[in-house]
Amino acid sequence: MRHKCWIWLLAALLLLPTLAAADVKVGLMCPMTGKWASEGQDMQNIVRLLVDESNKKKAGEKIILVVEDDAGDPRTAALAAQKLASAGVVSVVGTYGSAVTEASQNILNEASIVQVATGSTSVRLTEKGFPLFFRTCPRDDAQGKAAANVILKKGYGKVALLHDNSSYAKGLAEETKQALEGSPVKIVFLDALTPGDRDYTAILTKLKAAEPDVVFFTGYYPETGMLLKQKKDMHWNVPMMGGDAANNQDLVTIAGNDAAKGYFFVSPPLPQDLDTKEAKDFLAQYVARYGNPPVSVWAVLAGDAFSCLDAAIQAGNKTPASIAAFLGNLKDMPGLSGTIGFDAKGDRVGEFYRVYEVNDKGVFILQPK
Amino acid sequence: MEQFFQQLLNGLAVGGIYALVALGYTMVYGVLKLINFAHGDLFTIGAYLGLTLLISCNIAGMLPPAAAVLAVFVMVGCLVAILGVILERAAYRPLRDAGRLSAVVSALGASIFFQNAIMLIYGARYYVYPDFLRPNFTVHLLGVAVPGVRLLVIGTSVGLMLLLWAFIHRTRIGAAVRAVAIDPDAARLMGINVDAVISLVFLVGPALGGVAGLMVGIYYGQVDFTMGWMYGLKAFTAAILGGIGNIPGAMLGGMLLGLLESLSAAYVAMAWKDAIAFLVLILILIARPTGILGERTAEKL
Repeated sequence: MRHKCWIWLLAALLLLPTLAAADVKVGLMCPMTGKWASEGQDMQNIVRLLVDESNKKKAGEKIILVVEDDAGDPRTAALAAQKLASAGVVSVVGTYGSAVTEASQNILNEASIVQVATGSTSVRLTEKGFPLFFRTCPRDDAQGKAAANVILKKGYGKVALLHDNSSYAKGLAEETKQALEGSPVKIVFLDALTPGDRDYTAILTKLKAAEPDVVFFTGYYPETGMLLKQKKDMHWNVPMMGGDAANNQDLVTIAGNDAAKGYFFVSPPLPQDLDTKEAKDFLAQYVARYGNPPVSVWAVLAGDAFSCLDAAIQAGNKTPASIAAFLGNLKDMPGLSGTIGFDAKGDRVGEFYRVYEVNDKGVFILQPK
Repeated sequence: MEQFFQQLLNGLAVGGIYALVALGYTMVYGVLKLINFAHGDLFTIGAYLGLTLLISCNIAGMLPPAAAVLAVFVMVGCLVAILGVILERAAYRPLRDAGRLSAVVSALGASIFFQNAIMLIYGARYYVYPDFLRPNFTVHLLGVAVPGVRLLVIGTSVGLMLLLWAFIHRTRIGAAVRAVAIDPDAARLMGINVDAVISLVFLVGPALGGVAGLMVGIYYGQVDFTMGWMYGLKAFTAAILGGIGNIPGAMLGGMLLGLLESLSAAYVAMAWKDAIAFLVLILILIARPTGILGERTAEKL
């Protein structure tokens, strides 16, 4: 209870300056430098575009975007969060990596600032009970459920699960296994390969003996490409599926068109593959301004995070508490990556994962729902 | 039983390549007592040079596939051999009297230099060999359908190994190499040009490594600048397993390591295949510290 009181008190304090100033400050925390710099630069491009478009439509008060670089590093992120808090932002979009977001969570929570994370999929971020924390990306366990649904929908009876021992791929395999428990689908195989190897024939020979209806490899695209190629060499025609780490066109280059044909994977859709009005308008504006379409779906989620904050502000909510209340009640808002809504924990709800299939020309085709 | 036979062939194909790369380690060690850590990167360079010759120099377009592959085999072998000799001149010969530790550090430096040079020249992306170069036929062997290209890989590596063995043991130059391996000073007194023999070793070893890289490129299709590290490590292991400095030992060690990997993947757990392969290595080294064929180290090569 005391916790809640503090939030209201701070919210009231924050209300005073926002009433006085006409403009609303929104922060963006993203990795502009470091190993994820390309993600962060995309994030900034997208959010800046949306801010400008939104301000164009407004007569009176505008949104001012304050950008801070977190360098993809937790320590830098803590500093960035403090800088944003002292800049007087009401809400923050970002950031990308789970560990980086986690470093900023407490600081922003204590400063009573709404945070909408964009690429941080780690389950525990929303398990802490921070009332002002939301995210537009799904949790790690959501992909396992989505994959399990695809397996059930396609009617496969026996599934072989294969991962590469990375925490991401192993997690996805285990989540899928859990999601399939109690269903008629039988898991006939669960093991890991060594990423970076060239020869997977020993593994494929063993897999073949388990006679699965589908092979679900949860790892990354280079190994997927090699598996597809060597599977074709063995004249083994079992269907193969993957997760969003397979979403890279190099997969087809490595496997070859023939071997990759029919391969499908579960992944968040890119705006260029969506046919909603929001996605099309955004894409046209983005290409007009920056030349190329955005390549990463995680950066697009930063745009969605800003869009729902913008909707909250336009509805007259200028305090973190009222913005959080608005977001908590948000349902089915059309976004760049599908419909947006949040559950009680602040996690994104709504169908997000879609199925892509490789056609005979080696192009990833988004499948209808 | 069919699965066992299939796994046996899988293991032999992988093992054949380990063995080819292991020969380079073992020859250099036999003569110079030096672990040439840059050997794995010469292997990578072989794979990239093959790709450059086939695509950029359009050899794949000028000749029918089989002839193109054969021509590129010879060219890659020669080019990597020249690189091997340059490596020896630049990085090892100036340090020959400086003690073994300096030479090992120099070898590690050469390895890092090559790996980064490949990355800077070709970029960090994956490259892919054209698919039409791979022989695409299937052989039925004891009731098992085997991709023909796998038999060719096994056959080529065994053929090259036998050729090398004959060269070392059945020719006068081979006798000179063996003499230098046993005692360089005595060999010099007998009128053998030790520097020339060492250069020869750095011609033959890297050529085999480069050709192995080309074979991996054609067989698996995908090359990247870090591929030499894994193959180098496994081949080095194979050389030690068989008894380093010993040519039949390197062949045996390579084949054995490949078989161990595929059989432990098949019958224990795939995720444990490397752990099991190296556990067996430790057990063999405890029982025979000089490797399986190690008792012949006095004779070297």
